[in-house]
Amino acid sequence: MKLHYYPGCTLKEKTTALDVSTREAMRRLDIELVEPEGWTCCGAEYPLTEEKIVGLAAPVRVLRQVRDEGGDVVVTTCSFCYAVLKRANKAVREDPLKHKRVNAYLRDDIQINPLTKEKTTGFEDYNGEVKVLHLLEYLRDRVGPPRIREHLKRDLKGLAVAPYYGCRLLRPHKEMGVDEPDSPRIFEDFLETVGCAAVDYAFKQECCGSYVSVSLPAAATEASYRVLRSARMAGAKAIAVTCPLCFYNLDHRQEAIKETFLDFPGIPVVFFTQLLAWALGVDKELLGLKEHAVPADGLFDEGRGAEVRT
Amino acid sequence: MTAKTTKKKDKRIGLFVCHCGVNIASVVDVEKVAEALKEYPGVTFSTDYVYMCSDPGQQMIIDTIKEKHLDGIIVAACSPTLHEKTFQEAARLAGLNPYQIEIANIREQDSWVHTDREKATRKAVRIVKSHVEKALRNENLEPIKVDVKKRALIIGGGISGLQAALDIAEHGYEVILVEKNPSIGGKMIQLSETFPTLDCSQCILTPKMVEVSRHPRIKLLTYHEVDSISGFVGNFKVRIKKKPRYVDESLCNLCGECEKVCPQIVPDEFNMGLSFRKAVYLPFPQAIPGTYTLDEAHCLGLSPVRCGKCKDVCDKMAIDYDMKETFFEEEVGAVVVATGYDLYTMQALGEYGGEKYEDVVNGLEFERILSASGPTGGVVLRPSDGKVPKSVVFVQCSGSRDTEKHNPYCSKICCMYTAKHAMLYKHRVPDGQATVFYIDVRTGGKGFDEFYQRAVEEDKILYIRGKVSKIFKEGDKLVVWGVDTLTGKKVEVEADLVVLAMAMVKADGVQDLLKKLKVSTDIHGFVAEAHPKLRPVESLNAGFYLAGCAHGPKDIPEAVAQASAAAAKVGDLFAQNELVHEPTVVPVNDELCSGCGICITMCPYGARSLDPERGVAVVNEILCEGCGACAAACPSGAAQQRNQTDDQIFSMLRAMLRE
Amino acid sequence: MRVKLKAGPEQRKFIARIEDLSGENVYACYQCGRCSAGCPMASEMDLLPNQIIRLVQMGLEEDVLRSKTLFLCASCFTCQSRCPKGIDLARVMEAVRHILDPKGKDAFGPDEISPEQARELPQQVMVALFRKFAK
Repeated sequence: MKLHYYPGCTLKEKTTALDVSTREAMRRLDIELVEPEGWTCCGAEYPLTEEKIVGLAAPVRVLRQVRDEGGDVVVTTCSFCYAVLKRANKAVREDPLKHKRVNAYLRDDIQINPLTKEKTTGFEDYNGEVKVLHLLEYLRDRVGPPRIREHLKRDLKGLAVAPYYGCRLLRPHKEMGVDEPDSPRIFEDFLETVGCAAVDYAFKQECCGSYVSVSLPAAATEASYRVLRSARMAGAKAIAVTCPLCFYNLDHRQEAIKETFLDFPGIPVVFFTQLLAWALGVDKELLGLKEHAVPADGLFDEGRGAEVRT
Repeated sequence: MTAKTTKKKDKRIGLFVCHCGVNIASVVDVEKVAEALKEYPGVTFSTDYVYMCSDPGQQMIIDTIKEKHLDGIIVAACSPTLHEKTFQEAARLAGLNPYQIEIANIREQDSWVHTDREKATRKAVRIVKSHVEKALRNENLEPIKVDVKKRALIIGGGISGLQAALDIAEHGYEVILVEKNPSIGGKMIQLSETFPTLDCSQCILTPKMVEVSRHPRIKLLTYHEVDSISGFVGNFKVRIKKKPRYVDESLCNLCGECEKVCPQIVPDEFNMGLSFRKAVYLPFPQAIPGTYTLDEAHCLGLSPVRCGKCKDVCDKMAIDYDMKETFFEEEVGAVVVATGYDLYTMQALGEYGGEKYEDVVNGLEFERILSASGPTGGVVLRPSDGKVPKSVVFVQCSGSRDTEKHNPYCSKICCMYTAKHAMLYKHRVPDGQATVFYIDVRTGGKGFDEFYQRAVEEDKILYIRGKVSKIFKEGDKLVVWGVDTLTGKKVEVEADLVVLAMAMVKADGVQDLLKKLKVSTDIHGFVAEAHPKLRPVESLNAGFYLAGCAHGPKDIPEAVAQASAAAAKVGDLFAQNELVHEPTVVPVNDELCSGCGICITMCPYGARSLDPERGVAVVNEILCEGCGACAAACPSGAAQQRNQTDDQIFSMLRAMLRE
Repeated sequence: MRVKLKAGPEQRKFIARIEDLSGENVYACYQCGRCSAGCPMASEMDLLPNQIIRLVQMGLEEDVLRSKTLFLCASCFTCQSRCPKGIDLARVMEAVRHILDPKGKDAFGPDEISPEQARELPQQVMVALFRKFAK
């Protein structure tokens, strides 16, 4: 079956690992991911003031394209994109002023006919018809753990993985509503479904430092360090993330972290879809492990998951 | 559609229009109103006066009734909620039936809400005319009288229930006290010391417990539950369930041999799960009645085939596996609801670990740790490894004052008991560090603020103003993330033990009972009082009184005061030999009633029911409060309120609209 | 120096503007400090998150606008998820940034990033960062 998928700009260039592993994994589940034609950046941040309505135009544009291609659901793996799309969707559904203004902005937008690939400008107001789901939600609610387990080809033998939720996936609860902000289970349940042992640790929803790691690195270094340290101390062999920014802060910046916190031994960071893909039998080359700053190859050892089931 | 009430055209109505000083007269031209009504059909006498409610005003009414042989009067004045009774009494003194009095409200409904004198005066005339029409159709009514059974039922054997029981019994009345647990004592018996005196809780409570158990007029029923209740104020029938204890109280001598041999181990609820008991157990040493109880839910099978060890060793042959649940009925005149409270569950606070961490405890658990009869013998040890905690953090406002996810109200007692806990900890572990995180410190009672200052100044407890954001475990220490808003510093405290002041919430498992009793509760599940300011110990449902934390968070002195107040109110009720009830109820006209049952569902007081044999509705006049909901809903007009029939209302409308 | 506190039209206008922009009722905050207690960036801030909203409540516009804190907020919403009054402080922060002088010294824009860094950083970070902190 075909499913609309919004990768987000970062996945196409800097973290292709997340994109490719997602596609391959979903293919094993007989789901073909289809990107909306001519999609553009979602804007990365949901505008938090009532007046920044133009900031909703980019995400709504994406959603409108999905709708016009006949999709009623769009999944995404990047937590930032997920937050923006979902909240923009809700805003258009619930706030009449935002609905009116955003649609007014978009009316002159160039639309692309998915069949003929021609540029047209026919436009119908977007009213929030599409449902935005994070892949974790989609796997939990629409695919379901039993079906995933049926398709497993490799046994991860209870690899101790710490799920890192970060901030965007769960908060603000009223808008995101994926799970309880302080006692969530969705990521843990996913890890257990694919054969890992989910590690419980105190920093799973604490902020990694986000974009402050660029504007004031020192502040973010400590935040990221505490997350990594907490996961390690709880016995995790790896940390699983759902967001390229978390990946950047926790993986790429581990060198910088080690410079400040000298006794930190380090811990590999992986994307949840890499674990899923590996468990579903995808080849190692397709997991994008070259993009990792902290080597994660050791986790995807053929010897480890050697029982290839037919 | 409506039966016509007879308009008595030759009735002699007197009208008295009140100035109410300037309250009415400054807007409404009262003399003009009196004048305008002089010639109105039915009005025999019409006048105005400065203050009708004053002595001379009332005397005027009495004299005029007698002189002019009036058989109905209208007082055009303030709202009837204020002086209707005053004028009814005046009429009665003059020999007129009090229900021939009409109060025309020309103050709250006219002079207080309008400014245009001309229009307000014309409105007043219309209002008065409508009341004349009603008065012409009023009938003489007699108050309804009913007997009072002078026996009280008290539900709940905690401090409030015990106090109420003692007070009512001392008045000379019989009391039945029903407690669902094997022993009385409630939560107070679990406490270690009480603020602000640091009295040993058990030492001050057990004398009351003993007094209740020995009182000749108190029937103590422990391990019983109220199953259902029917009837009305002064005349309740209560169905009580006696749960099988499997131990004969009169034979058990507390030798304890059964406990020694019982193989089943159960978390001890008295010690908040911090220790274990057996399936056959004594809840605590001073339990009343002093008898063992066999907990059916945890017994291996109540039969010698499955186990039978306890029965074997019982010299007194007190253990009987064949006991059954039995039911019986009692008649009472009043019910006092004193069902207590529970603490908000820690599971709701995921940011504090939910219930994951053994060393994060709530207030009652800490009381048991402090208690000399508790699981650690009064030595402060932490649950996980039994070590003495050198750093204890106390977190106030856990789950309270939170409009977003938890309970919006303030739980009232936490500030005081946290100070107490911190003090007692420091007394026992003098080199320990006690830190309290607070938002405010509320110490309104007598000696309370002084007590709190003692904690800070003498026991050197560190109070940090900031609400804790997160508690988690690192190694074998708990890390507490807080903030000091007063110096603007984010702080982190390492603790060996954390005590959360969890909010007091409604008692578990009591909601169904309250529904059966038709005692209304507020949005938080606490029993609702009749009026928040002036009627704090009665329910709106006549005959039901409330006391203690069932009504809302409060401390022991307040609970005791409330219990005694409830007892006094019960005394008010029992002091009467007959109950008098307003006769302005809604009877059923059998001939018009089709038995549709709509009125029964409408009644908020449970006053109406269906007579299955005759197929018509019947009303229990004592329970009827005359709200009129049934009368409004009745499709056939069979339900007509006395002295407020549909016909009367329509006649009032016609009078108002005629201008 | 004593701060002359006024509760006049100027202060009311400022507070009203913040409330309009953020959609939050700043008066609902009873200064419990939980936001600050859980904020991951608070240790670097000159004014704690709860102090920012306090200054707004008091109408002290200049103090708020001068604070470094505004450019440390990572919009992680931990404050909002734990606030007992459900106030979304991240929105209040954004509202204050919205009315700030665009050339404020703590703003962080494209000029602050070297070309090498720009090649290395994920697009997501730059877009988010500039939309929040550059004016």
